[in-house]
This record gives sequence, C-alpha cells and structure tokens, in this order.
Amino acid sequence: MPGPIDYSKITITPDFDTVEWWMGTKEHKYLVRQCKDCGHKWFPPFPACNKCNSMDLDWFETAGTGVLHSYIVVTQPILGAFVEAVPYVVGLIELDDCHEADGSLVRVGGVMLDDEEDVAIGLPVTVEFEQTNEANIVVPRWKISGTADNTWKFSE
Amino acid sequence: MGALTDKYCIVGVGETPHMRPSNRTTLSMACEAVKKAMADAGLEPRDVDGMTSYQAGDSTTSNHVATSLGMRLNYSVDIFGGGSSTEALIGNTIGLLEAGYCKTMVIFRSMNGRSGRRMGGQAPSGPVPPTRAAEDNQFMMPWGWTSPAQRFGMSAMRYLRDTGTTTKSLAEIAVAHRYHASLNPKAVMRHPITIDDHQNSRWVVKPLRLLDCCLETDVSACLIVTSRERAYDLRQPPVFIMGGTGRTMAPNSAWNYSRPEIHYVAGNYGRNRLFGMAGISQKDVNLISCYDAFTFTTLIQLEAYGFCGKGEAGEFVKGGRLQIDHELPSNLSGGHLSEGYTHGVSMVIENVRQLRHRADDACPGWAEGTHSYDRQAGCRQVKDARIAACLGWGTETMSSSAILRGIAA
Ligand SMILES: [Zn+2]
Repeated sequence: MPGPIDYSKITITPDFDTVEWWMGTKEHKYLVRQCKDCGHKWFPPFPACNKCNSMDLDWFETAGTGVLHSYIVVTQPILGAFVEAVPYVVGLIELDDCHEADGSLVRVGGVMLDDEEDVAIGLPVTVEFEQTNEANIVVPRWKISGTADNTWKFSE
Repeated sequence: MGALTDKYCIVGVGETPHMRPSNRTTLSMACEAVKKAMADAGLEPRDVDGMTSYQAGDSTTSNHVATSLGMRLNYSVDIFGGGSSTEALIGNTIGLLEAGYCKTMVIFRSMNGRSGRRMGGQAPSGPVPPTRAAEDNQFMMPWGWTSPAQRFGMSAMRYLRDTGTTTKSLAEIAVAHRYHASLNPKAVMRHPITIDDHQNSRWVVKPLRLLDCCLETDVSACLIVTSRERAYDLRQPPVFIMGGTGRTMAPNSAWNYSRPEIHYVAGNYGRNRLFGMAGISQKDVNLISCYDAFTFTTLIQLEAYGFCGKGEAGEFVKGGRLQIDHELPSNLSGGHLSEGYTHGVSMVIENVRQLRHRADDACPGWAEGTHSYDRQAGCRQVKDARIAACLGWGTETMSSSAILRGIAA
C-alpha cells in the first residue's frame, strides 16, 4: 500500500457543475452524470448531454466497481501532497454499470490502494472512500477485488 | 489541393539559445527571437504589421514585443495554448493575410520553461506546495495524476498492452533524436545515447523513463509568414506552406479516457485533411518533425498521420528508420527531447532550415547552402530535402500539423 497522501497540500475547488459530485463522495456514493432525456451517462460532470444536448440532468449512483483499463506507477512525486506516497499506482477504471448499447462507456481515474506488484490491466476493482484532513472532502480510492483471465502487467 | 496551397511562405526564422536558466524576461527573449527572424528574412520592423503568439499565462504579449521593437501592427492576437499551437497559428495567419488584415506576420513563443513555469509541474526547488484542483483537475490532481508524463503515461501503458510494443521502441526514438542533436550546435543534450542508455535511465512514471521525457528550457522562437509575392524579394529561399490543420480534435476531446481507444489520437482525424490540402501522400515526405514531448508522442503520431499502420509504429521505428540518411528522418534538430523545449516552434524552424538547404551545422558553407553530408564531420542537412511534415501535438485528443515545401534542393 502506498504511503500517506497529504491532502492539505491540495485545495480541491468544486464549482457549480461539480459540487454535488463532491457531496456524493461524502455519502460514499460514486456518482456520474446522467441525462434525464436519453439516459446517457458521462464523467467528468460536463453540463450538457453530448448525445442529445439536453441540459436536464440527473446523477446516477454507480456500484463503484469496474475493471482496470490502464495504470501508471508514479515514482517521482510532482505534487507536495504525494511526496510520502511514492511509489503509487494511478488506475484508470472502466465502470461496470455505465456501458451503453452504442459502445459508450465511462472511465475514471483514482489512486490504487494496492502496490504495483498486485496491479494488472483487466483485474476487477472496487471503490473505497477515504476521509481527508479537510472535513468536507472525501476522496475515492480503488482496490483490486478479485482475479480475471487475460490480465496484462507491465514488465520492464 | 487547397485553394491557398503554396500561396504563403515562411520567410524568416529565429530563436534565442536554449538556456537553463535565462535570467531574462520573456519579453527580452521574444525581442531577440523576433529580431533574429527579421534579420534572417531581410525584413525591417516597419515591414511587419501582424503578430501572434501563444502562451499558458507564462509569457509576454505581442503588444509589448511590438512596442519594444518600434512596430505598429495592423493585427495582433495572443492565444492560450501549448504544443498544438504553432501549426494552428500558421493556419490563422494564412487566413488573415488572405483576408487582408495584415501583410507580414510574426508568430512567436517565449517561455522560461525551466526557470519559470515548468510544464512538468515541478518547481525548481522540488515538489510544489499547496495546489488548487479546479475544473478538470478536480478529477486528476487529487489522485496524483497531473503532469504531462503522468497523463500521457496512461495512454502509453494501454498502447503497450494493446499492441505488444515494448519500451525498446520508445528507446529508438530517443536515440534517433539525440543523434540529430549531436549534429546540432544549438542543442542542449549532444552526447549520443544507446538503446541501453535509455533502458537504464531512471523511471519518471512507468512506463516512461527519464530519456522518454523532453527537456525543459528557457527560450523564445519565432517564425515570419508572408505572401509568395513578397517572399520572392526576401533574403532566403522561400518555404511554401502546402497545407495544414489546426487543433483538430478527437471526439470527447476534453476527457480522453472514456474514448473507446485512449491511444487513437487526434492526428487520425486530421490526416486526410492535411494530406488532401497539400495534395501529396506520405510517400512524398522527405522528413518530419514529430512532436516529442515524450518518445511516446512521436511513436503514436506516426500511426495517426499514416506513416505506418495502426499498431505498427513499434516495429516501424526499429533499425534507425527515423535517423538521418534513413527512410523518414525525424526531428533533425534533436527536437524537444534533446535540443530544447519551445512548445513546437523550434521543430517548424528546423524543417524550414532543412528545406532551404541551410541547416546551421558544422559545414563552413551552410549559410550559402553548401553541405558535405558527412555526418562524422557534423553535417545534419538532409540530402534532397523537398517536403517536410510538421506533426504537432497538444494532447491525445488535440493536434495541429502543416506540410512545407522547399525549392532549394
Ligand atoms: Zn441526452
């Protein structure tokens, strides 16, 4: 597991399009945007549906599960918040319940709780919510939740 | 072919040295670069009546540069942006000249990219202090996913998985561009490197090593564009602009990561426009500048612009194919990996010099177009260079390009 992340060194600044998403994480909900008119889902929460252009929008509460689509291993910290955390893995997670008939899907990023050795593309992952030292900010993390066939690991 | 193909030309180029650090303002560096480009073209300040630049809140403006150099402009505008800007502004410029907004236009970038705002996000003293995660960064920065290496690394990793390419192919690009830098007196990093040097360099963010990442330098670089009719009277052999694209987007460009293939980049959508407007094919291209913020960005653009098939770039770059005297020499100045970092302008400048047959190398007669082609003796002029493709990159989902033609070869 990576070292601690000092969230006091990042000022997360929700805006009118995103504030409800950050409120969702406080209730341990991983939300994505959903169009009330056509049902399309997307993330980040841009303010219009790019399929039907409706701006009559809702939030969809995902199961917080997905499949690891890609990842990076950060060995050199760029942000002060992550100086103690390196090496850490950032995963790109394809959410299980956001697939649509035309092939559109939602992928989100997040810091893995797992170490590099345990991570592989294709593995199932699930969300966990981490309270930060800022009372209003709860941050989703991701962890490997099982096994899969045909996984792929980066080898040097 | 495009209606304006060959009607406008790049007639002047100039740049400051790549400095680490400059101890100068971006205004001072820009004045030097613009002066050098005017001198190169044989233009006086009174001959220039248009100016445009791009920046990321880190630079001076056309207003200040024109004032400092005693120019009165008929048109000026400065835009926001990074790597996808150079060729996009060439496109803007052609439109403005054609419409009569101005007659001769300067395009510049000036940046203290090492001592000032670093694109990699790291302050000179080490990891940066408290940082504001706003807009899209709300969904990246809190997960420690911010720098260009970290962002493009995600696409690179999936590319390696999907195609079976290994990092040895990335090494081929680092080696080729460094070899060219070794022939460029202006380049910051001139010691040739090997595949093993690349493989043994430290990790920055897996799958990218130190030698996969470009330099960060303080520099200003400048191009001057005018009409063909004016170009004939100027000092240098004109370099004709055959066609281009400007900040072409892939679908869902503001969030690359939910696209079906995160490494199917914007160049795929610009390719037919670029070659269609220029009226040529990839086979007609003698040399390229292929944006090398990272080795991976060069690799993926070779596929995007159709120089090889989808998923084939890893094999394509092997055996030195991107090196001078081989099939598709890339980034003859050393590029951003080894010459220095200008957000794209220096790559276009190098192509202009190559197409003039006046690469500023160790050959005593380079300024008159006399070259030995002896690489041991430091000649980096591509023999018979006639057509160059400038393949810009902003992100996976945004890219600009241009095809240039010379008449000196
Ligand atoms: Zn809709």
